[in-house]
Amino acid sequence: MAKRPPIGNRIRELREQHGQMSQAALAEAIGVTRQTVIAIEQGRYSPSLESAFRISRVFGVGLEDVFSWLEPQDN
Amino acid sequence: MSFREKTAWGMGLVLILAGIWYFKRVVGLSEALGETAAPNIRFVIGYIVLVVLASILVNIMIASASGKDAEAPADERERAILDKAGHWSGYVLAIGAVAGLWHFSWLKDGNLLFHIVFGALMASQIAEYGFQIFLFRRGV
Repeated sequence: MAKRPPIGNRIRELREQHGQMSQAALAEAIGVTRQTVIAIEQGRYSPSLESAFRISRVFGVGLEDVFSWLEPQDN
Repeated sequence: MSFREKTAWGMGLVLILAGIWYFKRVVGLSEALGETAAPNIRFVIGYIVLVVLASILVNIMIASASGKDAEAPADERERAILDKAGHWSGYVLAIGAVAGLWHFSWLKDGNLLFHIVFGALMASQIAEYGFQIFLFRRGV
């Protein structure tokens, strides 16, 4: 399996807090496919900085409120 | 499954079937001649026509079943996958070409060189779609 990037995210939690926003709606809002949103949520893909900012702007929070560096894998 | 992954499955299948069609004829002709058959332009054109027509048909079928996903350009993740798969498939072509040259240096069979290089070209295209499917499923 491809090595997962050491980046965690709260996208699923934030979607649920924003009126159960669907993955498709978030994908539409940031200009990617639903499969890419799924891959980001599951930590299988690290989005570009632009997409990361787009996601945080959709939820009206800062970048680090959405993404975090996972320290245990930082070796 | 995304539109591009469906396309990769469809195109991979088309190329595998067309490759089998082509090499069954080359092997059959070689067995009949008792030596490696010379490159046959009719088989090559038949292969190309088969791939083009089947590709059009498969892409129309997948696009019509995928709705607006088919119209959307590849996003950043899909572009990264397509780039990486294309890069990896280049190695398959290179290995095949080197294998063909190695055979030629020993056997001096130009016909076999043609078939190995043409086969490597087919294999690299099939591998490209295989790598795409792998990366779509396992992450890039």
